[in-house]
Amino acid sequence: MTAPSPRALAWRRRGAAFAAGWRQFASQRSGLVGLGLLVVIVLLAILAPVITDQGGLDVTEATGGTMAPPDGEYPLGTDRSGRSVLLLTLWSSRVSLLVGFVATLLSIAIGTVIGILAAHYGRWVSAGLMRVTDFFLVIPSLVLAIALSTVMERGIGTIILAIGLTSWPSAARLVRAQTLTIEARPYIERSKALGGGHLHVITKHVLPAVLPLVFVNTTLAVGSAIVAESTLSFLGLGDPDPMRPSWGTMLRSAWLDSAVLAGAWWYLLPPGIAIAIVVLAFTMCGRALEAVLNPRLREG
Amino acid sequence: MNHPLLALRDLTVRYTGRTREVAAVRGVDLTLQAGETLGLAGESGCGKSTLAMSVLRLLPASASIGGQILLDGEDVSTMKWGRLRAVRWTTASVVFQGAMHALNPVRRVRDQIAEPIVLHAPSPPAAAALRKRVDALLAQVELPAVKGDAFPHELSGGQKQRVMIAMALACDPRLVIADEPTTALDVIVQAQVLELMTRLVAEQDIGLVMISHDLAVLASTCQRLAVMYEGEIVEQGESRAVIADPRHEHTRALAAAFPTVGDPVYRYAPATSNELGLPDPPPATESPGEPLLAARDVRVTFTGRGRALTHAVAGVDLDVRAGEIVALVGQSGSGKTTLARTILGLQHLTGGRISFDGAELPTSAKGLRAYRRRVQLVLQDPTSALNPRHSVYESVAEGLRIHRVAGDEREHVAAALEAAELRPPEEFMPLLPHQLSGGQRQRVVIAGALALRPQLLVADEPVASLDASVRGEILALLLRLRARLGLAALVITHDLGLAWNIADRVAVMYQGELVEVGSVDEVLAHPHHDYTKSLLAALPTTG
Amino acid sequence: MSDIITPTEDALVEVPPPARGGGTLRYVLTKIGGGLVSLALVIVLGFLLFRVLPGDVVQSMFRGRPATPELMAEAEARLGLNKPLYEQFLDYLWRLLHGDLGESYVFNVPVTDKILERLWPTVLLVGVATLIAVGLGLWLGTRSAWRRGSRFDRISTGVALTLWSTPTFWLGMLLLAATSGLFPTAGLVYSDTPPDFLSQALDVAHHMVLPTVTLVAVIYAQYQLVMRSSLLEEMDADYLTTARAKGLRDDQVRRRHAVPNALLPTVTLVFLHLGMVIAGAVTTETVFSWPGLGLLTYDALRVRDLPLLQGTIVVLAGAVIIMNVLADVLYRVLDPRVRAS
Repeated sequence: MTAPSPRALAWRRRGAAFAAGWRQFASQRSGLVGLGLLVVIVLLAILAPVITDQGGLDVTEATGGTMAPPDGEYPLGTDRSGRSVLLLTLWSSRVSLLVGFVATLLSIAIGTVIGILAAHYGRWVSAGLMRVTDFFLVIPSLVLAIALSTVMERGIGTIILAIGLTSWPSAARLVRAQTLTIEARPYIERSKALGGGHLHVITKHVLPAVLPLVFVNTTLAVGSAIVAESTLSFLGLGDPDPMRPSWGTMLRSAWLDSAVLAGAWWYLLPPGIAIAIVVLAFTMCGRALEAVLNPRLREG
Repeated sequence: MNHPLLALRDLTVRYTGRTREVAAVRGVDLTLQAGETLGLAGESGCGKSTLAMSVLRLLPASASIGGQILLDGEDVSTMKWGRLRAVRWTTASVVFQGAMHALNPVRRVRDQIAEPIVLHAPSPPAAAALRKRVDALLAQVELPAVKGDAFPHELSGGQKQRVMIAMALACDPRLVIADEPTTALDVIVQAQVLELMTRLVAEQDIGLVMISHDLAVLASTCQRLAVMYEGEIVEQGESRAVIADPRHEHTRALAAAFPTVGDPVYRYAPATSNELGLPDPPPATESPGEPLLAARDVRVTFTGRGRALTHAVAGVDLDVRAGEIVALVGQSGSGKTTLARTILGLQHLTGGRISFDGAELPTSAKGLRAYRRRVQLVLQDPTSALNPRHSVYESVAEGLRIHRVAGDEREHVAAALEAAELRPPEEFMPLLPHQLSGGQRQRVVIAGALALRPQLLVADEPVASLDASVRGEILALLLRLRARLGLAALVITHDLGLAWNIADRVAVMYQGELVEVGSVDEVLAHPHHDYTKSLLAALPTTG
Repeated sequence: MSDIITPTEDALVEVPPPARGGGTLRYVLTKIGGGLVSLALVIVLGFLLFRVLPGDVVQSMFRGRPATPELMAEAEARLGLNKPLYEQFLDYLWRLLHGDLGESYVFNVPVTDKILERLWPTVLLVGVATLIAVGLGLWLGTRSAWRRGSRFDRISTGVALTLWSTPTFWLGMLLLAATSGLFPTAGLVYSDTPPDFLSQALDVAHHMVLPTVTLVAVIYAQYQLVMRSSLLEEMDADYLTTARAKGLRDDQVRRRHAVPNALLPTVTLVFLHLGMVIAGAVTTETVFSWPGLGLLTYDALRVRDLPLLQGTIVVLAGAVIIMNVLADVLYRVLDPRVRAS
């Protein structure tokens, strides 16, 4: 009898857990819809240079009329410089999604590390870290992000830093709460009694238990980061390069160009709807994932 | 009145789950006359709580009821909502399991007791009259009236349970259903609460259905007993008769799980049906060699809020010799778990010293790690003591990996599982904890400890969360391990019966101190300290 | 995988452990102490942000505009930037203690005066919107949770999620476009409104409709989702079974037992989320030219009026910190589990 090796056993177990999780996820329609939307949007964003011509974003080469309503050539009309709103919306997805993902990864990474450390090491480390976390949690992150992006060079990097450095506290609290729950479990005590040190407990027990939650939180946070990006850009803190538009900078142009008063709905609606759809898709995915992980939310 | 107070006729309760239907109660017939007391015994999951909740139709929406539930001659299962609400608490009331959660945490207990009175009164009672009534109810359960103004978290476990009883009596019900009313309580408090309930029920001629997993508790309070197993009543009759001469094998297992302390039949003989049988009792000769573990004047002090000091362990001397089983007995809060954690090096000493095999307990991380190969821990609840994501193999191998034990890991794991009597080991290796029964999980925990070949096992309430029938098997395993491997054990427990079952010596702990230490036969037969005496007196008697 | 009890939104709020007999005074003092530390941090941060971080402040003031070295030197001297850092900090602290936040570069008035002038419109807008949003959120959240999975739950949760996914300013712009002409598009009052109280109040109310609706739409969703999940957490609680066993009607069980318990974490969250409300206010005020602190922040940002920006940031952050300390104290009063016996 050739028994499978322990490693193979462990991987088989992970595979089975993943498959079970996927089945539960797939049983929720809204989660699937969200995931489908995301796949389509991300594909479009990646393929934008292939299916369209970036030259259309160049103000000097724009061919359309000034804030012209939709017609055959420009399905979503044009902006003040005569660029196609459809093209702008498509290209904007690249910056918006990029900022959303990277800023979220940054903030979740900070939050996870701080959360686990604050929960695992009690007393002073915890008190100090939570004091800092509470501070960042309480003060308005937009205000902080404004301050940060004011003093730094305008651009995508600044926006990412501003969002990432101000939005981690909720992840930290969440991870800390989860770590505390896990660390209260007797199997941690058992592991310590077996001789396991800090590193062993954190990597073998805490991290694997916290990661799914971190993953859910990441999914939910990308949406918030995209909204934050649009807000900062709207306030004039985004990337000024017209060749790298985002949905936020588009809305800022629409605002500055008085699209509201001009009744140029074709200029106003697409970027906002795009934001709403992407954020909603992330939220739907995230909540479906959450339901997979928390059976209490699942029923009904 | 010629109809009984409560009559269940062919009662069936099914839960409709996502994938399958589970019948929790299957064709139960039960009758209770007015003023009668009936004990309903069974292990967790046997359907006894479902049965109790069905009487007032308090089951979740996924449950469907078949058969009849005649409460005072009226079928509860077909009642209209309005009628049902009127019947609830006035005809029958409930003392819930775990008063801690059954009381609303943000309302004063007085208001919670008064609530059903106001609700069911034909006209709203005057505030003064209501206050008097609640005070009277509190007095009945021997609580001062001021306690009524407390919030639940400000009361002790026993006080909360008294509040629950006062609440249950608020509308003068003719039937009280008590669902594990004393499970979370200490022995002495349990005895007081049981005594109170028995007295009140008798005084006010109330019918009582009491549910418990503990036959002794039921036998000491109820005239009749019914034993439930897998949704069915397998045996019922006069309490005394059922205890003395159990017919169903399950009843026998339940009865044996709570041994009579002092009865030689149960000495070194936990109930087991394992073919390996029990090892012979150890030779009675005293062999006072060097102790394996020696604790001298051990003190552990915690600093609480407001800089108040709590002396959890206040100067304890305790020896465990090689191959000896010592029971450390005490109530919750007596400091016994803190002492165990200190012995394992999981808790810092405030004073005193502990030596193992002649050497001082190490304090360095490295020293502690080496020490922990020799002293291992078995926890109370095996369900939470195993990482739910780790397979049996990984859980058992965890210690081996931490200590980088030489040799073939797989062989070590197999040997450890074998030693914990999980056979054949290969079949158990890939399983996850949730695929195992409670007893099997505890065996995995023990296997994980055995894999490191320790000399001493510290077991913190090793069977407290296990069902009665499994309890004896695990205790028998400990005895066999001692006989085969010479493994010493320090077993921490609140249960004197456990000490009688397996221990050589017993140490009774009270408020951080050991008040009595000695051989089991001596201490439990001739206790010297008052506390030991009151512990023994509080044991429910079946007589 | 099922072992994880995922902390939901309300896990952000840590319910303080029950303290038996702990002094209320001690608790309040701890909270105030914590608040003071946060305030100090804000003050230091306000100072550092505009002096230490990369990017020369003066240069950033002139970004996009021509600046001669003389002009820059003059600006530097005016901001006190030519002195050593510690001296600048002491100077900053000293003036802050006297309520002096420096002089606005653009308006040429003390920043404090400008902020005080703009404070009340923001308090009015944020206050009214928060009250409405809390009421609406709690009511919808309670109903959703109680009828979990019903059509009402699905629709109201869906709407809340959608609104939550929407940038505030875009919603404001849409409202402006959709209601063009029905409501004023900017300001607090028309200049030609008669000066009597009633006319003025009515005009302010008229101006307030759109900003309030926008702000409410964006923030109520949080409260609804939190109330829903925290009530769902309570739904399986044993004391609800007790209440049902007593013969209470479904709505009595909800009103008397479930909601009071679920409300507590939600109340704390209302305050914790004030920062988010402030963020909403900044963009809402910008879109509707509502003359409050948010618009002031935007203006300061637009024209790079650094003393003004620093002032608004310190005041906004400080206000939120103070509100949170108040909330902690309020929580102590509301929850008997935390309150001293």
